[in-house]
Amino acid sequence: MIRKMARIEIVGLKKDLQNTIHELHNLGAMQIDDIRSLSNLLLQPLNLTYEMVQKREKVELINARINGFADLFKKYLVGSVENLEDNSTTEEIGEKVDQVTTIVQQFTQNRTALEEDLITLSKYQEILKLMAPLLPESARKPGNATVGALLHATQTHSMNMLVNQLRTLTQGKFEMAIVKVNGSTNALIGVLPREFVVSVEELLTKEKITQLVLPEEYSLLSASEALEMTTKRIAEDHRELDALEGHFRELANAWGPFLRNWQVTCLNLLDEFEIYSRLGETEFTFTAYGWVPADELQDLKSRLQEKIGEDLVINQLEIPKEMHKKIPVAMENSQSIKPFENLTKMRAIPAYSDIDPSTLMAIFMPLFFGMMVSDVAYGAILFFLTLFLAKKIKTGIFADLIKTIKIGSLWAIGFGFLFGEFMGTMGSSIGLKPVLLDRTASGSAITLLYMTIGVGVVHILLGLILGIANALKHKNKSHLLEKGGMFIGIMGLLVVVGATLKVIPAAGRWGGYALLAAGVIFLGISYGKTGMILGPIEFIGLLGNILSYLRIAALGLASVFLAKVANDMVGMMGNVIAGVLVSILIHSLNIIMAAFSPTIQSLRLQYVEFFRRFYEGGEQGFTPFKKRILDH
Amino acid sequence: MEKGIIALAAALAIGLTALATAMAQRAIGSAGVGAVAEKPELLGSIIILVAIPETMVILGFAVAAIILMG
Repeated sequence: MIRKMARIEIVGLKKDLQNTIHELHNLGAMQIDDIRSLSNLLLQPLNLTYEMVQKREKVELINARINGFADLFKKYLVGSVENLEDNSTTEEIGEKVDQVTTIVQQFTQNRTALEEDLITLSKYQEILKLMAPLLPESARKPGNATVGALLHATQTHSMNMLVNQLRTLTQGKFEMAIVKVNGSTNALIGVLPREFVVSVEELLTKEKITQLVLPEEYSLLSASEALEMTTKRIAEDHRELDALEGHFRELANAWGPFLRNWQVTCLNLLDEFEIYSRLGETEFTFTAYGWVPADELQDLKSRLQEKIGEDLVINQLEIPKEMHKKIPVAMENSQSIKPFENLTKMRAIPAYSDIDPSTLMAIFMPLFFGMMVSDVAYGAILFFLTLFLAKKIKTGIFADLIKTIKIGSLWAIGFGFLFGEFMGTMGSSIGLKPVLLDRTASGSAITLLYMTIGVGVVHILLGLILGIANALKHKNKSHLLEKGGMFIGIMGLLVVVGATLKVIPAAGRWGGYALLAAGVIFLGISYGKTGMILGPIEFIGLLGNILSYLRIAALGLASVFLAKVANDMVGMMGNVIAGVLVSILIHSLNIIMAAFSPTIQSLRLQYVEFFRRFYEGGEQGFTPFKKRILDH
Repeated sequence: MEKGIIALAAALAIGLTALATAMAQRAIGSAGVGAVAEKPELLGSIIILVAIPETMVILGFAVAAIILMG
């Protein structure tokens, strides 16, 4: 059902502005229009005061920091976060976020330091592993020191010159080893008396050669001792990193739920600031325009005036004709119809003047699904499958489709009894006899085709009746001629078919032709100048739409014959076990197809064949200004 | 001989319309998936567009059924 909407104007004193907006936010019943999009108004858009701008910036900053924490803590948080009874003010939230920031900064600094240390130590470890066995014996002598340099492979020539320079500088007391670190880098390790270390290092700096500097604590150690110490330090760093991860996890679990709740609080505050820009102002007053469901208007009025006082004026306005297409659409349906309401919206949000087709869709969509599947066993399997899936998938379009299939599977069981089908052709072996028709019997396909065309005629005539009612309600002559012409034309065609099949007297045939001609003429008139051509074409298109319902029979027959093949396989395979396995495989495939294909086809019959007879579709749904809730 | 021709006619009626439907759906489907990736709210319209050419094979099926059983 589409709810009746009321257009309202709220005028209040500026001192009540924040309280009014906050209360409207709490009530969540009003959609507030942007004053800049409304014409003929002598109001200027509301400008925020300096304090309000300051506060908004503060909230934006807190929100940005919470977003950062949300990203950081995402991998540590397990399970859903519940709404907490936390009514902290912005200031309190800001203070607590500062506390978390300090801790997180400390942890992050520690982690960065450890990670950098690990990178450096890994490099040392790699070089020391190569150095240790090659280092000259003299390195262990007291009074000697070790220097190292990293040289690129292209610097081989310079390396020889460097070695000569070092030998000269140390008066020949320089022993060295060259190690390949990787494909492009060599390490030069030299042992020299300690008194030459400073001058050698100066030379290396002057020649712009990267020195291999081991931390100070390693300088007095031999290469193998340094390697041992590096390995130990790497293990310690890993342990500390693990401990730090644990601290992050604890922090995330302790603060995560609060942060998520505060994030919602901040977003709600920012929503209120966003709404201010939609309002208009004079020197002392503010004005808001918007929409409320008519049945909630009185409640909104009394609750606002109770909270704000009599200074707040709420007026219901006439809806001007040019605004009729802009009326937001709010739909209201019972919980059982809701999935079909969502499927209707998937096609298009209804226009305010439309008839809400959700209830009709709730009847016909599962019915057509059931007619296509029509098997007791398949229906039962699909029913239990949807019961299971409904527990796993609770929201979204798939949840809606699962609910549709659940109801459709009950229809499938019902039609299964009518057609005597249990796993296809196994019905007879368990004593199930077709009440209406045996779909596998020779010649029954034609009967089934007629039956589904009959279903199509009824469904489309119902759509046309709704279209005619809509046209009468809105006094739309063109639509009335179009839908009425189609209705009369089909009725005429039914009379002709009835007379041909001798259901009605043969003389009725001429009446039928007259109705058919009148229908096509009315249809043509509704299209104006091109009606002479478009009228007959549209009527043929309408017949095509009726024939489209043959898909109900086509899919049903395909399903039952596939099931028959599966059952026949048991006897044809020669080996009973192999036959049963192949049969189960084919039945499983058939059931999976039975879940998908009839759903899509049934949806298509609603969208294309049925909706087109009366449904226009609108542009905007009703989006009330209401508080966000925690997204689980 | 006559039975064979009847069977061939029915097979052509459904086979050719199925091919035509498949060709139309290939083009609409691939474009539709791209459109839905950009704008998920178009899903309803895309389902309709993809399902429209199926009328061809349904009518082919009806003709085949009439040829075989009529």
